[in-house]
Amino acid sequence: MLQSLAPFHSNLSGLILCPLLGSIIIFALPDSRIRLIQSIGLCTSLITFLYPLIFWVRFDNSTAKFQFVQTIRWLPDSNINFSIGIDGISPFFVVLTTFLIPICISVGWYSIKNYKKEYTIAFPIRESIMIAVFCMLDLLLSYVFPESVLIPMFIIIGIWGSRQRKIQAAYQFFLYTLLGSVFMLLAILLIFFQTGTTDVQILLTTEFSERRQILLWIAFFASFSVKVPMVPVHIWLPEAHVEAPTAGSVISAGILSKLGTHGFLRFSIPMCPVATLYFTPFIYTLSVIAIIYTSSTTIRQIDLKKNIAYSSVAHMNFGTIGMFSLNVQGIEGSISLMLSHGPVPSALFLCVGALYDRHKTRLVKYYGGLVSTMPIFSTISLFFTLANMSLPGTSSFIGEFLILVGAFQRNSLVATLAALGMILGAAYSLWLYNRVVFGNFKPNFLQKFSDSDRREVLIFLPFIVGVIWMGVYPEVFPECMHTSVSNLVQHGRFD
Amino acid sequence: MFEHDFLALFPEIFLINATLILLIYGVVFSTSQKYDYPPLVRNVGWLGLLSVLITILLVAAGAPPTVANLFYNTLIKDNFTYFCQIFLLLRTASTIAMCLDHFKQESLNAFETIVLILLSTGSMLFMIPAYDLIAMYLAIELQSLCFYVIAASKRDSEFSTEAGLKYFILGAFSSGILLFGCSMIYGFTGITNSEELAKILTGYEITLFGAHSSGIFLGILFIAVGFLFKITAVPFHMWAPDVYEGSPTMVTAFFSIAPKIAILANMLRVFIYTFYDPTWQPLFFLCSIASMILGALAAMAQNKVKRLSAYSSIGHVGYLCIGFSCGTIEGIQSLLIGIFIYVLMTINAFATVLALRKTRFKYLADLGALAKTNPTLAITLSITMFSYAGIPPLAGFRSKFYLFFAALGCGAYLLALVGVVTSVISCFYYIRLVKIMYFDTPKTWILYKPMDREKSLLLAITLFSPTPFFLYPSPLFLVSHQMALSLCL
Repeated sequence: MLQSLAPFHSNLSGLILCPLLGSIIIFALPDSRIRLIQSIGLCTSLITFLYPLIFWVRFDNSTAKFQFVQTIRWLPDSNINFSIGIDGISPFFVVLTTFLIPICISVGWYSIKNYKKEYTIAFPIRESIMIAVFCMLDLLLSYVFPESVLIPMFIIIGIWGSRQRKIQAAYQFFLYTLLGSVFMLLAILLIFFQTGTTDVQILLTTEFSERRQILLWIAFFASFSVKVPMVPVHIWLPEAHVEAPTAGSVISAGILSKLGTHGFLRFSIPMCPVATLYFTPFIYTLSVIAIIYTSSTTIRQIDLKKNIAYSSVAHMNFGTIGMFSLNVQGIEGSISLMLSHGPVPSALFLCVGALYDRHKTRLVKYYGGLVSTMPIFSTISLFFTLANMSLPGTSSFIGEFLILVGAFQRNSLVATLAALGMILGAAYSLWLYNRVVFGNFKPNFLQKFSDSDRREVLIFLPFIVGVIWMGVYPEVFPECMHTSVSNLVQHGRFD
Repeated sequence: MFEHDFLALFPEIFLINATLILLIYGVVFSTSQKYDYPPLVRNVGWLGLLSVLITILLVAAGAPPTVANLFYNTLIKDNFTYFCQIFLLLRTASTIAMCLDHFKQESLNAFETIVLILLSTGSMLFMIPAYDLIAMYLAIELQSLCFYVIAASKRDSEFSTEAGLKYFILGAFSSGILLFGCSMIYGFTGITNSEELAKILTGYEITLFGAHSSGIFLGILFIAVGFLFKITAVPFHMWAPDVYEGSPTMVTAFFSIAPKIAILANMLRVFIYTFYDPTWQPLFFLCSIASMILGALAAMAQNKVKRLSAYSSIGHVGYLCIGFSCGTIEGIQSLLIGIFIYVLMTINAFATVLALRKTRFKYLADLGALAKTNPTLAITLSITMFSYAGIPPLAGFRSKFYLFFAALGCGAYLLALVGVVTSVISCFYYIRLVKIMYFDTPKTWILYKPMDREKSLLLAITLFSPTPFFLYPSPLFLVSHQMALSLCL
């Protein structure tokens, strides 16, 4: 019996189905059993978090091929199949997703007041969509799934967002992302017309003409640059992150912004190598502008969440520099930074959420001297502030260091300018922390005092463990991705 | 093959007979003193629904795997007409099911509406297999006349009268143009039969200046304009918003899509088969681009539900014209898939609109707080709106995706580009409905009566039946492929 089940639950589709199953069960339960609903949501997401361990154990580090490939016929006439699999790059994104979802559900345990059931349903659904995105080996379907995220995200921002401005934010998020990505749809159709298939494994071996590569690259860029976000189209991100509920910010900073970088890594770079080399200076320029501009903008923000949102834009652009340095160190650094950028800004958003739940404001000027009333909270937020400015010993440092190493080999000017971002990062992080935690306590504004309770500390704990583990012993991650990344670099003949 | 022409027309004959019997039954009993002048609209409605369902069975039972030419080549039955007729009848059945409760709520005692709906369905059943310009024109006129009457059926409402009048004038005008086109063609070739025309016009190069005869060119142009009037494509769309708004909602629900199925089927027959020639392509390219742009931009400024639906249907006609103007197999196939999915979505949207009738449901703002008062309906409507907008896992994405696919396939890059951009713009107003339902908190909450069983069944079917097309799209794909093939070969 167990043996006949074994091949099924070691399939990737099981991983996608697991949260979906949970949300269907929840859907059938009545609204009144809210505790049961929440527990089921949490349990399914925890199971989904442990599920990838099977793949971790059985994963073969020595090959760059896609593993655990599973194909379900979808549209047989035109060779568009639902096929999933992972290589050395995708597990990180999957793990990040499964890691953050239980946190999101438990964050809303008490603070969400209306539509609780829908809240608990929305997150597992998103989880399975995101896992499907990161494992998908079909170009068309990997357009379909990231776009599907729009609907739950639009609703999450709009319903559980905090202020009236949330509607504008939801709209901005929706329209920006959609406009960017429809061009990608046209590109996919063009590819399909040339090759007759959208299977990524086959497309990676296809050579496109140089003109076409440039066209495709631009179309892909239109989609991914909105999601990353690169500089001219980053406007939606601070809005959407600020107006979203805490869990919404966690998920969009932690996972959603990885969609863009994942797309660059999976499609743009390997499929259009010539165009990638052609556009590398362009990406460098945009990223450097983004790093310096958003870091400087961060300094003058008065909204706590906007602050973190802008700093996360800066970090994501750091990631694109590493990715487009097109050597093994750069790309590995960039993936590590993505991985560490999952927990760090998410934890900071959780910190802000904790403050907002207590005092119902996010403006910096009402805060001050929190260290005297909330010592535990202050310690935790100090830790994550330091992680955010990539202190050695935390996870971000590994990523940023490797990125700088990689970028120096390609273009020392870019690396130097990008390194400015580290200095500015330290400036805004510490400046913000100073204003909120130290200084005089402002009793006129803040009347109720309560330090972080056990639930909150428990939520922060996995983040702390993850950040320190990655910072002190980063060996596990490059080991897994090394073969795939080297293959990527060799495939494009970038060296 | 059929041994006898009347055997092939059995579904049509049955439907017309059923219509007549229902008419007699309605007239006799609704004026009978013995039964105290009963309102018969629900009885006739149920019987009408029944006869439509029987007609579907008859059509399905007569499934012709081969081509049959009837009545000296005036009508043709093949795979294409077969599936189109089934689409159309399903659409009629759903409209009648939607209206049943509505008649009682509105205390309308006009069973002849149902009779007219059946009669127009009968005429559309003839439009689809029409294989001759005269047969086509006669069927179109019968259908239009029925519509003029039911558009003005609500006599105590000024809007309805105005809508009926506008619809009549513009409809008659467009029929005139169509007829003029037909007579030009007849005058310059001496033929009205599609097959004969196709033989003559193959390789004819109908361009205005290089033509052997500019009369044929003019004829085709007039026919195209007449058709574009009927499907509300953009330069000829001006009647649609007023008529949609003025007519009673259930009538709008019917003629927002049912005639479009029939007319598009006709257009495909005439333009793809009979006049197959790339010269008319630019005309439809232009109309398609204009419709998409106007549909997207004008709908943004609307705050009434039915006007919004009018402009959104104009936009959708633009998308469907993409598939039409390509003239390739993929194009026709994508058009058919597009119609099918659009029909499902429209039934869903109009069933919701009909269900929300406590006092009046006229403005979009009346949807406020629907998420609180009726969460299930709110979710249904949101999913339909996202699907209209073409957001991926839903059916609307599937249809748009195939249409753009076809456009790129025939090299119409501009068309695909405009389509993509306008579909993003149109998202704005589709998700505005979601915004109104979920995010706004209006001062007055309108409580709507719970809907009846027929509408809720219909809503459930139309909501869930598109979902499998994402999980398992091949059946629809194969059916539409067959239809497209049988049209072209």
